[in-house]
Amino acid sequence: MTKLFAPAAFAALVCAAVSSAACAQTPATNPMPDGSRDMYVGLGLASGARYQGAADTERSALPVLQVQLSNGLFVSGMRAGVHLGRSPQVEFGPLLEWQARRDAAGEGDELGGVGDMRFSLVAMPLAAYSDNRLAGMPVIHGRLQGGGFLNYYLTPDWRLTSSLLYGAGNARDGMKLELGVQRLALALGPHHRLAVDAGVSFGNRRYNSAFFGVGEDDSLLSGLPVFDAGGGLKDARIGVRWNWAWSPSWMLTSSVQATRLLGSARLSPLVERPTNLTVSTAIAYRF
Amino acid sequence: MPLASKITACCTLSLVALSAGSAYAGDWVSYRDAYRAMVVFEKYGGPKNFLQSQLQVAPQDRGASIEGLQLTLAGKTNQVNLPLDPLGRTPFPLLKGAYDENVALLLSRKIGSFAIRPRISIALQPDGVYEDGELRAACEQALGFARYGDGSLRSRQCGGVRFVFAKRALDVGVRLHRADGSDAALPVASGTAFPGDADDSFPTVLYRFAGNERVQLVTAYPPLAIVPLFD
Repeated sequence: MTKLFAPAAFAALVCAAVSSAACAQTPATNPMPDGSRDMYVGLGLASGARYQGAADTERSALPVLQVQLSNGLFVSGMRAGVHLGRSPQVEFGPLLEWQARRDAAGEGDELGGVGDMRFSLVAMPLAAYSDNRLAGMPVIHGRLQGGGFLNYYLTPDWRLTSSLLYGAGNARDGMKLELGVQRLALALGPHHRLAVDAGVSFGNRRYNSAFFGVGEDDSLLSGLPVFDAGGGLKDARIGVRWNWAWSPSWMLTSSVQATRLLGSARLSPLVERPTNLTVSTAIAYRF
Repeated sequence: MPLASKITACCTLSLVALSAGSAYAGDWVSYRDAYRAMVVFEKYGGPKNFLQSQLQVAPQDRGASIEGLQLTLAGKTNQVNLPLDPLGRTPFPLLKGAYDENVALLLSRKIGSFAIRPRISIALQPDGVYEDGELRAACEQALGFARYGDGSLRSRQCGGVRFVFAKRALDVGVRLHRADGSDAALPVASGTAFPGDADDSFPTVLYRFAGNERVQLVTAYPPLAIVPLFD
């Protein structure tokens, strides 16, 4: 299946678009002139699981958007926030994230007020999924989650990351904690940068129930067994991204990320394959 | 997504990349990236009066020469030549207009693989005389700034300074004057100017801090740089 936008992958790639860094990482000292900004806009391709735990993959057109302002505001794909820290070693601040919609066709929906950008380049009716485990499951609507982030630099090249977001799921009470470690900006010559990221995610019971649980009504409609997802460890991930700067304005940004569902999420009847791979590449222009 | 499709997409993007990458005869650096690295020292609020910050173009190959290399800030309306010293350093102009324009810093020729780094060194004295206490204070300032950006340096201490001279300097050397009137020349050895540099053939003189004796260091010929050492 081919889609125009895949917000989950979108968020992952726009993070990769930053030449010297990653998501939500404008140093709190704002290394730019007052009143200036650093912005990337681009387009590429992504290939990833149709939804978390799906066995089938889909490819998507992938818009790239990253904006950093000198006052600390940033937009990074589906995330936006403000840097409040004063030290280059610690970054923290409030964070908003758009939780992508999930329906029978998979994950991905609106993109930041652009409207319903989800339509297939290759028409594929629902019935074409011979084993679509999302069929009959309730739609999880797109939601704005709120929370914060806290990053700590062990060295200028190594950083610990964390974010806590609340408001996912139709009941708006799902909470997700992400912890990670990143090796930033490994230089491979003057124009190539490699960054490695690994981490784990935790979801509270309501978060995991929303995305991996199967209620009695859902079971009747979907044919899946009832599953009561518990809170706790949700997944582990490792990823590599490569930025190739062609000029001060143009760059190619590519990434590969493997995610493995863990804990209660992995045991969900919705999960066909616990390990998913997301590959993406995009051309971005720096304003 | 079929593997063939992925390969096709990557090849297409790579071809675009190669054509875009050939725009410059020499090589280039993003002014904006350099600005982001260099402005940290400018915004640092700690003591730094003994220090100077410069941008360094550092070849990664030991045999690469930067002699005669030119670095030019290439804006749409004006071009500024940034002279590089024998260590590849130049004072970096922090210009909002150039940042907003996202201009390139152009190298006059290719030097193979290289890195762009901010380099902190101790400011030179016009008379070539350096008090031990001033060098210690300068090293402490440099360590304070280094710790500001890198928390892993908390356990490091100032150990001394390294005088780095030009390879063709007329008079390489540093003399140590003690309070009792004695005078001695410190040994000269080949080495790198800064940690991580590839070229290890610069004449250098190492001065290690020891005791509380009041001493003076005198250079007959100006060094290229005085580099703080952290142990």
